Amino acid sequence: MSPVQGQPLLELDRVSRAYGEEVVVYALREVSLTIRAGDFMAIIGPSGSGKSTMLGLLGVLDLPSDGVIRIDGVDVGSLDDAGRSKMRGESIGFVFQQFHLIPHLSAQGNVETALLYRNLSRKERTDRARAALDRVGLGARAGHRPVQMSGGEQQRVAIARAIVTDPLLILADEPTGALDTTNAANVMEIFESLRSPERAIVMVTHDLAVADHAERRVSMLDGQIVADEIRLPA
Amino acid sequence: MSRYRELLGVAFAGLAARKSRTLLIMLGPTLGVAAIIAAVGLTDSAKGDLKLKLRELGTDLIVAEASSSFGTDTPKMPADAVPRALSVPTVDRVAAVSELSGVVVTPYAEAASVYETVPIPVLAADSQLPSVLDVTMVTGRWLNEFDQQELARSAVIGQGLAEEIDMLPGESRSIDVGGKAYAVVGILERVELDPALNNAVFITFGSAEEDFNDEDQEPNKLYVRADPGTERDTSAILPIAITLGGSTEVAAKIPTDLLAAQSETDTTLQFIVAGMGLLALVVGAVGIANVMSISVIQRSSEIGIRRALGHSRSTVGLQFLLEALGVGILGGLLGVVVGLAAMWAGTNLADWVFVLQPWLPWAGLVGAILVSMLAGIVPALKAARLEPLETLRLG
Repeated sequence: MSPVQGQPLLELDRVSRAYGEEVVVYALREVSLTIRAGDFMAIIGPSGSGKSTMLGLLGVLDLPSDGVIRIDGVDVGSLDDAGRSKMRGESIGFVFQQFHLIPHLSAQGNVETALLYRNLSRKERTDRARAALDRVGLGARAGHRPVQMSGGEQQRVAIARAIVTDPLLILADEPTGALDTTNAANVMEIFESLRSPERAIVMVTHDLAVADHAERRVSMLDGQIVADEIRLPA
Repeated sequence: MSRYRELLGVAFAGLAARKSRTLLIMLGPTLGVAAIIAAVGLTDSAKGDLKLKLRELGTDLIVAEASSSFGTDTPKMPADAVPRALSVPTVDRVAAVSELSGVVVTPYAEAASVYETVPIPVLAADSQLPSVLDVTMVTGRWLNEFDQQELARSAVIGQGLAEEIDMLPGESRSIDVGGKAYAVVGILERVELDPALNNAVFITFGSAEEDFNDEDQEPNKLYVRADPGTERDTSAILPIAITLGGSTEVAAKIPTDLLAAQSETDTTLQFIVAGMGLLALVVGAVGIANVMSISVIQRSSEIGIRRALGHSRSTVGLQFLLEALGVGILGGLLGVVVGLAAMWAGTNLADWVFVLQPWLPWAGLVGAILVSMLAGIVPALKAARLEPLETLRLG
């Protein structure tokens, strides 16, 4: 399972993202990156290095000012909002530092939210969400609301929500940033278990301990990639 | 289709999750609709008894009467007034009546002087009268062709007179009409539109000619039923059709006109109160727009995550619009219930007849839905335009 041999899932081809009109500030400048199936990658860098901008672009939450982003061969820039939304829903699973669960929905409801508007029967939605919660060890707490759960449990619900659609790419933004050491280790174990030859996992972090779990490490500084290393397992 | 069902579920869950907020913004459409229904309903109900009576009586009866022309004691119409009236295409049924002058009715010989002073009117009437007046017999039968042709001395008396002389239903009795004994064959029900008929004695035109020398059988009054909706035009043309340019003068009137005027709702008052209700509805809409706009900001994280999960701008916008629709439907329904309850309480307290125009609750509900949807447009657009990247605080 060499990460280099997988199919390209997501390609950034000389992508720039600039802000401002009169004074143009580049958050990302001519970055090229290929994420392949099977990749378990960490994007690291200090604050202001362009990590968040990168995450927004990888997650199709933002569009580049220049350059091309292809997901599974499709140029993201050629899609309208509905097309980009569909691509996000089908190809990408997000895990955020602040979990971002919908407070009035149960764990089950939160996971099912990722399956809405896809012509699935209610039973199929329920079954798949339940299976995803089982996978993160929270099947028994499906009916609990976020407020009734610990931070670690909330993050596991968020991971279940990210994997329930069986996406090509899981994008995690500081996934352990709001967790204590035990819960953080637990979450990282889950990420390890999610690795598969068909899927890529990308974590954006400034925590080197988290980055150490990844096989591939992309380092960023001042809006550019300064290193892209493959680390063989110890 | 399943997309819309799921959207409805999401919108409903959104409303149910914030019950007190939902109830508060529902107050706007609820109060507005309730005020409009109560205002329109109560101002209608204030004249409810008159409206009910008018509906019962109908407005299509016209009374054409020969009026006093100079030099004539007892004004009469031409003898062929009935066929002339029937020649008007919008006339449905006609009944003729002729009041006989100088004929004294004495129900009791002992009280003859009383009835000479205050005479009971004697009317020659044709067989159509009850049908045209739309009244039935309290007891017995109306005058028929046999009575007319055979000169049978048959009389029908009005309900008022029957009560005055204590005539029991089914009792056979005769009554002295101008010195002739007439058999009372029936009692005519009270005629609301012409109370004078309640105390009258009716005999046939044949008997009137035979016994009281009313030779030419000229009616002085016609009761006419016009085709529904044509009563105004018919009453205008009737005098011309009856007189045909002759010397007689005929005046036609619609007896329910006065009643109709009395039963008219005070529209000025109705407009003012309904206008205040409408204002409440608009203020409610502003409230919905405000609260939902704030809610969009509060729920920006939810909107961001939904967008990240693949929900498009239009789906998110529609979700908020459906929440506004939900507020409109629930608020409108509650408003209809509250409005009807207020009407029921008001009509009971004031002892009015409950009059509800059937379109009113529907109009209230549709109004609440429209206004809420309009109020929901701005927050929905706001939600749709929210950039997920701004709300998710990455990195």
